[in-house]
Amino acid sequence: MQRKLISGIIGILIALLIGALIMLVQGYNPIQTYAALFNFSLFGFYPLATTLRNSVPLILTGLSASVAFASGPVNLGQPGQLLIGALFATVGGLYLDLPAFLLIPVLILLSMLGGALWSGVAAMLRKWFNMDEFITTLMLNMIADFFTYWAISYPFFDRSAYSPMTPQINTNGWLPIWGEFNSNVIVMVLAFFVIYLVFNRLTAGYEWRITGHNSLFARLGGIKIDKNYVTVMLVTGALAGLAGGLVVMAGPHRFLKGLGANYAWDGVMIAVVANNGLIGTLLYGLFFSALQTGSLGMELITAVPREFIQVLQAVTVLVIVAGRGYLDILIDKTIARQKARERAT
Amino acid sequence: MQILIEMKEIIKVFPPNVIAVDKVTADFRKGEIHAIVGENGAGKSTLMKVLYGLEHHNQGEIYLAGHRVNFQDPGEAIAHGIGMVHQEILLISQYTVWENIVLGAEPVNFMGMIDRQRARQLVQKKIDEFQFNLNIDAKVDDISVAAAQKVEILKLLYRNVSVLILDEPTAVLTPQEIPQLFNELRRLRDHGHTILFISHHLEEVLTLSDRITVMRKGKKIATVQASETNKTDLAQMMVGRTVLFTTLREKSTAGKQIFSIENLTYIDGAQHKRLENINIKIHEGEIVGIAGVEGNGQFELVNSIMGLIPTKEGSIRVNDVNLTKADILERRQYISFVSQNRGKMGAAVKASILENVMMTHHRLNPQFTRWKGLLLNDQYARKFTEQIEQQFSVVMDQMDNPFRSLSGGNQQKVILGRELLLSTPFVLLDQPTRGLDVGSIEYVHELILEMRDQNRAILLISADLEELFRIADRILVLHRGKIVADLPTDQTDIEEVGYLMLEGKENDAKETD
Repeated sequence: MQRKLISGIIGILIALLIGALIMLVQGYNPIQTYAALFNFSLFGFYPLATTLRNSVPLILTGLSASVAFASGPVNLGQPGQLLIGALFATVGGLYLDLPAFLLIPVLILLSMLGGALWSGVAAMLRKWFNMDEFITTLMLNMIADFFTYWAISYPFFDRSAYSPMTPQINTNGWLPIWGEFNSNVIVMVLAFFVIYLVFNRLTAGYEWRITGHNSLFARLGGIKIDKNYVTVMLVTGALAGLAGGLVVMAGPHRFLKGLGANYAWDGVMIAVVANNGLIGTLLYGLFFSALQTGSLGMELITAVPREFIQVLQAVTVLVIVAGRGYLDILIDKTIARQKARERAT
Repeated sequence: MQILIEMKEIIKVFPPNVIAVDKVTADFRKGEIHAIVGENGAGKSTLMKVLYGLEHHNQGEIYLAGHRVNFQDPGEAIAHGIGMVHQEILLISQYTVWENIVLGAEPVNFMGMIDRQRARQLVQKKIDEFQFNLNIDAKVDDISVAAAQKVEILKLLYRNVSVLILDEPTAVLTPQEIPQLFNELRRLRDHGHTILFISHHLEEVLTLSDRITVMRKGKKIATVQASETNKTDLAQMMVGRTVLFTTLREKSTAGKQIFSIENLTYIDGAQHKRLENINIKIHEGEIVGIAGVEGNGQFELVNSIMGLIPTKEGSIRVNDVNLTKADILERRQYISFVSQNRGKMGAAVKASILENVMMTHHRLNPQFTRWKGLLLNDQYARKFTEQIEQQFSVVMDQMDNPFRSLSGGNQQKVILGRELLLSTPFVLLDQPTRGLDVGSIEYVHELILEMRDQNRAILLISADLEELFRIADRILVLHRGKIVADLPTDQTDIEEVGYLMLEGKENDAKETD
């Protein structure tokens, strides 16, 4: 744990250093830029609240990817599952009329149901036709993309709008906001704790983890890996769907074109950086959200364009992933060399 | 004869801490056939790969004709005249013989195109020189394995290699093809080539080679003249001390029948009969051994018993419970299983020791969980892991460390402990001592005998005949998917079983009735 934390911090520092070099080459002032970046994302109540709020879809889709990858299934369908989840929550919010304390949980559950349904399609395709979820989830992303586009352009289209979007959902379904603090963070933290508990403390989570490490060993140990596969697909789909539902309920309160943004792919990237660790996903999710949140302020104050943050993200991923693999190899090789030297004398 | 290659105090450690070659000093002379023998995992292949530049040694020096060399890759070794033929054939099956031979070193004409005529001539010249008897225009797809192996050798000769390293070349050949290969190798030696020949078949080593280097557990035991040694001496050096000829068997009083397989037949997807009419009965307190050359149906037998492949014909029972169609979890209530491949089947090496120890117990033993099996009981699992650590004298640092941080012997102790404590009536052991050092092997044998004394029925599959003769009460010989003999251990000997393993029953009718 400590080693992971240290190597993560070192990795981020190196990535920031490389980012500074890139800025220097282009004639920007890196210190000023980073100061602006973190001023607008971390320092102060408003920036911090915004970073937290923005981290929710990143962390939830990241958790979805982490749990899936660590358990075996290569679920890359978070973008589609997020959209379907968002659509389910939106439609529920348009037609249900319940008091807030009922409507909010119902919409949350609906979004999870939508995501699970979408990942469930991939799970069934694997079960019945032995199709690889790696492919099917990617394909289903496109279907979800165009299906939701159609849904907000025709059946649920807001006639007063000029571009594809739905009307706003029932205000009872809006997540409460206290000052700048959006309660979507609370839902995310709850979801994190539940998933953490399931994954690390429950028998089911143990079986998922072992299956992710070595499915043949798990199978021989008596674990029903096919059943667990379906469960993991449904759970991770539900997580991505929840991310979508929260985006609608916390933000625009309606489904508009481009709602999914790049949340889900960023989430997958976060899972990769975190090496599928749950706490790592949470921390890296916050860090990436801080970068993205601060980028607006950075653009406002300095001449560095917002797109620079994407470069910085990519550099961070590369440095941390490469460093992690290299560190292990380096340590192993050093031990081997030492042992050989001991033998020689 | 002059010394051509000298390897001095070579040490190779595979990261992080597996010592594959342990301070080996050896020399190879010009124009000799030099065999390197040893059991699986003795380090003979690794030593040769170090010489060939495929693996890099951590310590030690290599001299070629008096000059120090340190090859970074096989290309450098080939440029210095050292080539290696691997166990597997690595040719492009769609190409012809000559195309495969020149590939990577093609003669080209002035336009930079392959000079086919000259290439064919050069290849033909090499073939004639060494009387290899090959059609250079045949597609590799269409020629036999023996011929493909010749192509591999010719590839090196074409590159003017004078030191040939052959890694178990006879493993892929039929008995009839072996003498021919040997003749060709002798002819190469007579032309002044040096042949380094890796094998663990003592008989062929004695017929073919001039000198023999014996390795065991990464160390060189000795280099001897082939004419001054014999099979028994070599075997003793290869296997090491007492392990030969001591037996731990006692007269066991066989009780009621625990395990039975009846008329088990398995046909694979390609319509090959992998198992044919297998019948095995094991009583309580009995160790039944299965002998056989690898690939004669052991894999399918294990997978059938464990439920990894469906059984369509025949039945499998433990304690009169029919497990033929049972799912794996149900089987595990009756069957403990130690696989031959720790990393693939026996453990999740990146998961923690604790997580590996819990496997199967977490489903079968209610103490491992709370809330009707929903929540793990971490405390109990830790206590249980400590119990295994003490009872089986496992050397471990922390149970939360990854499983792979344990040494091979300790890994096997953990696996054996886990399976032993499942307390099932039947135990399936698939090469449980594979890749272990002598001390660990003896410990594993003691554990197996302990299981027998607890009146369990044990099926022990092993490629190591000495192991079978040491602890098994009966030995069944598996040959081409059939059980060709069922012999009480005290009424047979290694020679007979070895012969049955290789030749089957047809050639030895008198002994097996």
